[in-house]
Amino acid sequence: MKKKAVSKAKWIQSIATSACVLVASVVGFQSTAMADETCMSPYMAKIVGQEDYVYVWTLGVEGMGDGQDKLVTMSVNPNADSYGKVVNVLSVGGRNEAHHSGLTDDRKYLFAGGLDSNKIFVFDVATNPAKPTLHKVITDFVEKTGGMVGPHTFYALPGRVMVTALSNNVDHGGRTGMAEYTNEGEFIAAHWNPTDEDLRGAEKVGNVADGYGYDIRALPRRNVMVTSSFTGWSNYMMDFGQMLGDPEAMKRFGNTAIVWDLHTRKPKKVFEVPGAPLEIRCAWGSQNNYCFTTTALTSKIWLIYEDEEGEWQAKDVAEIGDPSKVPLPVDISITADDQGLWVQTFLDGKTRFFDISDPFNPVQKYEHVIGEQVNMISQSWDGKRAYFTSSLLGNWDKTGEADEQYFKLFTWNGKKLSHEFTVDFYELKLGRAHQMRFGAYSLYSQKPNSDGTMLSQTK
Amino acid sequence: MKVLIVLVFGLSLTSLYGCESDKDTPLPGSHEAMAEANPRIVADGWTPDLSFEVPEPGTYSLATIKAAGGGIVLDSNGEELDLDSLLGDKIVLLTFIYSSCVDLNGCPLATAVFYKIKERFKDDPKLSDQIRLISISFDPEHDTPDVMKLYGAGFDDGDPQWLFLTTASEEALQPVIEKYGQMVLRMYDENGKSTGTMAHVLRAFLIDRSKNIRQEYSVSFLHDKLVTADIKTLLLEEGVLLADDVTDK
Repeated sequence: MKKKAVSKAKWIQSIATSACVLVASVVGFQSTAMADETCMSPYMAKIVGQEDYVYVWTLGVEGMGDGQDKLVTMSVNPNADSYGKVVNVLSVGGRNEAHHSGLTDDRKYLFAGGLDSNKIFVFDVATNPAKPTLHKVITDFVEKTGGMVGPHTFYALPGRVMVTALSNNVDHGGRTGMAEYTNEGEFIAAHWNPTDEDLRGAEKVGNVADGYGYDIRALPRRNVMVTSSFTGWSNYMMDFGQMLGDPEAMKRFGNTAIVWDLHTRKPKKVFEVPGAPLEIRCAWGSQNNYCFTTTALTSKIWLIYEDEEGEWQAKDVAEIGDPSKVPLPVDISITADDQGLWVQTFLDGKTRFFDISDPFNPVQKYEHVIGEQVNMISQSWDGKRAYFTSSLLGNWDKTGEADEQYFKLFTWNGKKLSHEFTVDFYELKLGRAHQMRFGAYSLYSQKPNSDGTMLSQTK
Repeated sequence: MKVLIVLVFGLSLTSLYGCESDKDTPLPGSHEAMAEANPRIVADGWTPDLSFEVPEPGTYSLATIKAAGGGIVLDSNGEELDLDSLLGDKIVLLTFIYSSCVDLNGCPLATAVFYKIKERFKDDPKLSDQIRLISISFDPEHDTPDVMKLYGAGFDDGDPQWLFLTTASEEALQPVIEKYGQMVLRMYDENGKSTGTMAHVLRAFLIDRSKNIRQEYSVSFLHDKLVTADIKTLLLEEGVLLADDVTDK
């Protein structure tokens, strides 16, 4: 009996070992064919192959079209007849200061926030990726969170979405926190940022714990979550020129980044990072335990990293353009191989490519003017495609002729960007183009028929 | 059919633990293989040794995410029961799998980690009686109760209890997976014919005795040491464990 069992066991092992070749081939194919955005949560399902759509969360402009905020679906697959065209517009009713958006880990839903109305719109992008539908509108964000204002970043965690806020309903300044929701949009918990008065167990490394918030990213393998800091409602809803001339307003910007324990949601260290550190992008490499952020007002690249002793540190590692001219660095995007960082500077409309092969010494290698103003970038996993949009905030965008509002695609060959197409959001009376997120039929086991219906649908 | 399942499951586990052929290595799927100290895991985002310090149980809290769901399921003997009846008396760790899954970040990983958790709680009545592991198939067409019995035979020794469940049909399955937000996609070829494979994001759910989901795990955090810390945190919260009882087992 024992002999028979061993014989069967070896037979199974032999078959299984032989099959490894096939499995490895499949896995290898998937990793080389990935074409997803590089700045998404590592928890999220990845697009394999070419993205089909880019969802652009767009601010409505009074007197332009229906004047409402809207989710604009761009067709971006070169094989589609509709390539480079708007294929769907879903208006949400009114203006909310549409800003950022983020997908759930299973990419069934896209959360999109309104910084002024505090509404969160949850779109179903899975049932038909070409035509998202509005699944739910969360209207009690302030009440549920105990006073947070300005839902900003939507970051996928397992079965949940972490939502950072920018402000609060007491003084409309920058003290704030973040909140967890289920993928379906049900509130779970609120986590307020540590402050000088209540550090919540965190260590204050610098001179300040301002409690401000902005972006969030995580390095799950190190159980670390990093948040940055911007400014509160009283500033981000103010006219940009007026704010620049108001010394008191200019004091109300965040100067900190916080490292959190991802699993327990407890703040560990508060770093002093002067000048409004905005987007955070963490490296992908298994040994690259660091994240980048850029400061809007001081125009620097900061590295938040784990040192050889396992302690987290923050260090400014490069300047962006001429800081004295305040080019206003905004969105950034890290390449999938951790070798490059795209940095947009809003006021001169440039994108700049930094070599970050030495993360402690980023060096700018290339720059290109995208438009009169530029904010967001989403690059494909293979780095060959980079999408850009133009809007920063409704009251901060340029005015007159310089107020270009667009969605642009460039290709990147490692040396220079080549323009593919531009969609003028003002000409189409859509509004101010802001954050982009990718969609693809491959995520949902679907492909389109010629009539636009799905060949196979989710069961 | 049984041979096919054994074949595919063997393939899955071999893929999970590495492809090197070695006559002296334990049989894929055997207890020896599962308990091996340093298997070569190739699933992205998962390492056999947790790469950070496990938080001390009871020093943090787990928010209530949402109510866990019930639904009519079949046990491995084909007996019909309500999933809800398996919740409440113990802390439950639940996941969805299918027996022919070869996704390295999916079912084989979940089953391997569940096994390691089971081994951690085994032979300690104070802990073992407090938890129940549940693996539910989302492929009722192929994963009959007999298949699930075969699938689970190498893992479940009752200490602690580990149930391998299925459903009678797709119609019976849907309300169950919807309650847990478990997205499952059948994969089709270019002619619209099912390939027999499914795409899903691996999820595991930690459910307290009030039948609330208190933690959801995906690949990066589905680690036996971390799940054990979370289970002990719930047991401390309930008063079933006292602080002195918490050891690094």
